[in-house]
Amino acid sequence: MILPGRRGVRSAGVLVLSAVLAAAVAGALLLFGASARSTSARQLPGGHSDSAALQVSLPSPLKPSFVPPTPLRLSERETARWAVVQSPVAARAQPTLDAPVVTRLGRLTPEGTSNLVLVLGTQARGSGGVWVRARLPVLPNGTTGWVPRSALGGYQFVHTHLVIDLERTTAVLYRQGRPVFQADVGVGKAAWPTPRGEFYIRNKLVSYRSPSYGPFAFGTSARSVLTDWPAGGFIGIHGTDRPDLLPGRVSHGCIRLRNSDIVGLARLMPIGTPLTIK
Amino acid sequence: MSDLTLEQIDEDGAIQEGIAALYGDTRADLFRKAALGGTAILAALAGPPAAFAARSKTRDVAIFQFGLNFEYLQSTFYTEAEQVGTVARMNRQKAFWAKTLGAHERAHVAIIKKVLGSAAPKKPSFNFRGNTDTESQFTKTAVAMEDLTTALLTGIAPTLEDRHLTAAAFSLLTVEARHAAWARHLAGVVPIVRAFDRRKNLDEVDRIVASTRFISSLRPKTTTKRRPRYTG
Repeated sequence: MILPGRRGVRSAGVLVLSAVLAAAVAGALLLFGASARSTSARQLPGGHSDSAALQVSLPSPLKPSFVPPTPLRLSERETARWAVVQSPVAARAQPTLDAPVVTRLGRLTPEGTSNLVLVLGTQARGSGGVWVRARLPVLPNGTTGWVPRSALGGYQFVHTHLVIDLERTTAVLYRQGRPVFQADVGVGKAAWPTPRGEFYIRNKLVSYRSPSYGPFAFGTSARSVLTDWPAGGFIGIHGTDRPDLLPGRVSHGCIRLRNSDIVGLARLMPIGTPLTIK
Repeated sequence: MSDLTLEQIDEDGAIQEGIAALYGDTRADLFRKAALGGTAILAALAGPPAAFAARSKTRDVAIFQFGLNFEYLQSTFYTEAEQVGTVARMNRQKAFWAKTLGAHERAHVAIIKKVLGSAAPKKPSFNFRGNTDTESQFTKTAVAMEDLTTALLTGIAPTLEDRHLTAAAFSLLTVEARHAAWARHLAGVVPIVRAFDRRKNLDEVDRIVASTRFISSLRPKTTTKRRPRYTG
C-alpha cells in the first residue's frame, strides 16, 4: 500500500533513477561505438582486418530442406466414434464393477468380424479408470451400457450418418451433415417390422455368393423380432435379386436396396456409421 | 513444486514404465514390457525408401520415416483429444494450448509425408488407452510425449548426413522444446528441469513407445466374405 504523503517522494525517486539509467546506457553505447571503430581499423598480420576475419568465420545460416506449413486446425464437423471389443467384457448398467450386467460382449460378431460398439460418452471414475458408455447390439433395441475403457481398442472416427425413413421408404447418407447419397428401399412387412431407433453399422460382407442379398451386405446392431433366426436375427442392409419390389414393405426386417444403390452406398459408408431408423 | 509422477500419467501402468526412462528410473521393467507387448515404431516401418532415397542418404530417410511415425503418434493423440470432447471441456487457456499443439503436429505430419513422398510409411493404428479421455491424463501424457520428442530430436538432428535436413530438424526441435515447456507449465511442473537436455537415440525412443502400447499391432477386421445370415 502507498501512503498518500509518500506518493510524491516515490515519483521523484523514480524520475531520478530513470535519468541515471538513461545516462548509463548512453555512455555504454558511446564506448561500444568507439571500441568498434578502433577494432575495425586494426590490421591483422598478413594485411587482413578483423572484419574480414569475421566474414570468413561466420557463414550464412543453412537453408533448411523443408519448412513446416501453416498449422492445420481441425474443422468443426459431425463426428461419431467406435471401438472394437478387445477382450470379452460385461457391459454394466452403471460405470462401476458392482453394477448389474446388461450383457456380455465377445470379441467377434456372428460373421467373424471384430465386434464393435458405438461410443456415446466416457466417465472417469478415479482409481476405477475410464468407463465408456456404448450403444450395444443386443435386445431390447436401443440398449446402452458401460464398459471399462481398457476392454476396448483404439477409437475410430466417422463423419457419416445413415437415416432410414420407414414411411418414405428411403435411405439417406449424410457426410458432415450434408446428404451425399439417397435411394429407395424395401423394409419389413407388418408381421416382421424393421425396428425403429438408433443403431450403427457393424460390418460389411463382400464377394459372397447369394443373389438374394445382392453384391454387398452391411450388418447393423439392430435386432429383428425374429429372435430364433440363424445368428440371432440381426437386421442387414443389402442388395436384392427382386428390384421390382422396391420401394415397399417387402422384407423380414432387413433394408433392401437395388444392387446399383448398394454398390454406391458401399463406396461411401464406413463401418461404425451411426444408423437412425425412423 | 514437484515434478510429474508417472503413476499419475496412466492408471493401468502401461505408459508409466515407458516414460520412466525420461525421468531416470530403472529400465529393466521397461525392456521386459517392450518385449512382451506393443508395436514399436521401427517394427511399423517397412519397405525400402523410394524417390526420397535417390536424393538423400539412406540413413536420413530411415530417420525421417521413424520421425513421421512419431509425428503420427503425436498428431493422432491431440486430434483424438479434440474429437472426443476432452479439449472442449478445458478452460480457454488450456484448450488454446491443446488445439495449437494439435495443429502444429498435423502440420509436421503433412510436411514430413511430403518430403518422404512414396517412402512415407502408412499411418499405424493407435490405442491411447484412455489417455485422451480425461483432461488430467491427457495433460500428463502430453508432457511426457513432448519431453520425449525433444529428447528424440536432440539425439537425431546431429546425426543426419544432409546438413539441410539437420537445419530443418532443428526448426522442429525448437518448436517441440517450446511445446514441452508450455505443456509442463500448464501441468504445474517445472518447465525446464536441467541446464542441458538429454538426448535419446532411435532405439531408446522405440522401446519407450513400444512400452506404452499406444501403437496397436491389430487392425479391426470389419469386412468378411462370409454369406449373410441377416433376416433378409
